[in-house]
Amino acid sequence: MSEQDMLDIDGVTKMFGGLAALKEVSFSVNRGEIKGLIGPNGAGKTTLFNVLTGVYRPNAGSITLNGSSVTGLRPDQITSMGMIRTFQTIQLFEGMTVLENTMVGCHTWTRSGLFSSGLKLPGARREEEKIREESMVILKDVGLDTRPGEQGTNLPYGQQRMLELARALASRPDILLLDEPAAGLNQYETGELSQLLLSLREQGLTILLVEHDMGLVMKVSNEVVVLDYGKVIARGTPDEVQNDPKVIEAYLGIEAD
Amino acid sequence: MEKLEKIDATEKGRNYRILLILSVFIFTVPFWAGLIPGSILHMDIVNLMVLAGTYACAVIGLNLLVGYAGQISLGHAAFFGIGAYTTAILCTRMAWFPTWLGVILGGLVAGIIGWLVGVPVLRLKGHYLAMATLGLGEIAFILFTQLKGLTGGTLGILNIPSLSIFGLEFDTEFKLYFLIWAVVMLMMLLSINIICSRVGRALRALHSSDDAAEAMGINTARYKTMIFVLSAVFAGIGGALFAHFLNYIDPASFTFFLSILFITMVVIGGMGNIWGGLVGVIFLIFLPEVIQGLPHWIPLVPESLTNFGNYELVVYGLLLILFMMYMPKGIAFGLSRGTSYAKTKFGHLRDRISARKYEGH
Repeated sequence: MSEQDMLDIDGVTKMFGGLAALKEVSFSVNRGEIKGLIGPNGAGKTTLFNVLTGVYRPNAGSITLNGSSVTGLRPDQITSMGMIRTFQTIQLFEGMTVLENTMVGCHTWTRSGLFSSGLKLPGARREEEKIREESMVILKDVGLDTRPGEQGTNLPYGQQRMLELARALASRPDILLLDEPAAGLNQYETGELSQLLLSLREQGLTILLVEHDMGLVMKVSNEVVVLDYGKVIARGTPDEVQNDPKVIEAYLGIEAD
Repeated sequence: MEKLEKIDATEKGRNYRILLILSVFIFTVPFWAGLIPGSILHMDIVNLMVLAGTYACAVIGLNLLVGYAGQISLGHAAFFGIGAYTTAILCTRMAWFPTWLGVILGGLVAGIIGWLVGVPVLRLKGHYLAMATLGLGEIAFILFTQLKGLTGGTLGILNIPSLSIFGLEFDTEFKLYFLIWAVVMLMMLLSINIICSRVGRALRALHSSDDAAEAMGINTARYKTMIFVLSAVFAGIGGALFAHFLNYIDPASFTFFLSILFITMVVIGGMGNIWGGLVGVIFLIFLPEVIQGLPHWIPLVPESLTNFGNYELVVYGLLLILFMMYMPKGIAFGLSRGTSYAKTKFGHLRDRISARKYEGH
C-alpha cells in the first residue's frame, strides 16, 4: 500500500455458511478521491460496507485505515478512527430533532461524560456550545438549516437522506462510506447531492460511494470498482469501466462482442 | 445563531422552569397539608410524600434506563434493598457510624453490584438485562432472608437510627420530608442535565437503533452500563433513605413486587418523559389511599375496598394494560399535551378578544 492510500482493503473474504459473499476483495481508496463501487444487486457491496465498518468480521483479509489496521475492531472504534458510514435504509434517530440528530454525529470528537454533563461543568458547557455551532454549520452546508427543531423523522424523504449525510459529516471523518445516498431522490435532489459530493472532495474528504444511479457515479467518481458475485471484476476510470465487456455482461447478462 | 440557541435550549429551559415551580410547590406541602383535617382525608399526606420521595429516587433512575436508554430492569427492588441494608447494617452495628455516610455508601454498594451485573449482561443485545435483573431481584431477596447473621433474616433490622447530618437531626417526618425531597430534586436536576447532553443524546440514539448508534461511534455497551449503574446508585440512595425513614426494614419490603411497582410507576408516569417518574410515583402512592377512602366518602361503596392489599396486584395489572393501550406515553405526556392544548385554546380566545377590541376602536 502506498503513502496516499486512505483505505486499503486486502484479500477480504466473508462467508455466510458455505456461501462466499465476498471473495478476496482487494482495492484501495486514495486520499481525497471519490471511489465509486458498483455492481448488480447481491454483488456484495453492502456486505463489504458491513465488513469495513466492523459490523461483520471478515473470514480472511485485512483492512487498513490511515495506516493502522482496523480488522476485527468494533463499529464504534472504527468510526472513532475516522471512517463513518450512512445506511441504505435511512436510520435516523427517532424522537430527536434535526439538530439533535446531527449533534449525535459529534460524538467521536467530544469527551464530556456522565459527571461533567450531569453537573454542567464549564468544560462540558463549552463543548456543548461547540457541538451546537458546528452542527448548525453542517446543516447549513447540506441545506437543512431552516427547521433545526423539526423531528428528523418528519422530514421529507430526500431531506432525511441529507440529514443522515449531515450526521455523518458532523463526526469530522477522514473517509465517508455512502450506501446508495441517491436512492429515492428525485432528479433535482440528485443534482444537489452530486454538487455536494464534489465540494466535499474539494475540501479534502475521501469518499467511497455505493450507488445504483450510474449518472451520479460516473459524474463524481475518480475511479470505479465493479463487484459481481463477491469478486472485483473490473476497475478503472468511469469511461474505462463503462466500456469493459465484463461489466456489460454482469449488468446485462449477455456476451459482448 | 441566536435563534438556534433558542430552539435547542427551549426544552431544557422549560424543564428548569418546571423544576423550580415544582420545588416551590413540593416544599410548601408540609405547611398546608397539616391544615386539612385528617378525619376528612383519611391519609397522612406528609408521611406518604416521604415514602414517595424514597421511591422517587429509584424511579427517576429507572426512567433514565427504561425510558431513555430503552433497557428494562425487573430487579430494581434489589438495589433499593441493597442500599437499605448497607446503611442499616453499618449504622446499627456501629453506633458511631455517621448515617449520612451510610446513605452514600448504600448508593455506592448498589452501584458496584449494578456494575458487576451490567458489564457482562449489557454486552448482549436484546432484553437480556430484564432476565438478569429478574434473577438478581430473586437472589437479593433470598440473601436478605438467609444471611441471618448480617440481615436478621425474616425479622429484619430494628432500631435503625434516624438520619443526622453534622448534628442536624432528621428525626421527624416533617424534617425528613425536606431532606428527602431535596435529594429527589437534585436527582431530577442531574437527570435533566444528562438528558440534554452528549451522554443523553447517545442514550436516546442507542434506544432508537443500536446499529446506527454504533455507526456514530457510540460504544453502546459502555453507555448502557453507565446508565444502569447510575440508576442502581439512585435506587440504593432511595433505599437507604427508606431505611432511615422507617427505622426498620425486613426482606418483605424488597420483593419482586416492589420491582414491578417501580416499573409500573415509570410506565404510568411516562417512559422517556423526564417528569414521568415523579408523576408515576405520586400517582401510585396516593391511588391506594384514595381507593381505600372511597367507602368513607361515598355511601354504598363496599367496606371491603379498604383492604387494598387484597386486590392491589389486580389494580396495578389493569392500570398497566390500560395505560399501554390508551396512554402509552403516560400521564406526564398527557399533562403537557393538556397544557399546550389549553394554551392554544386560551391563545385563540385572547386573539379574538384583542381582535374585537381592535374592531371596536
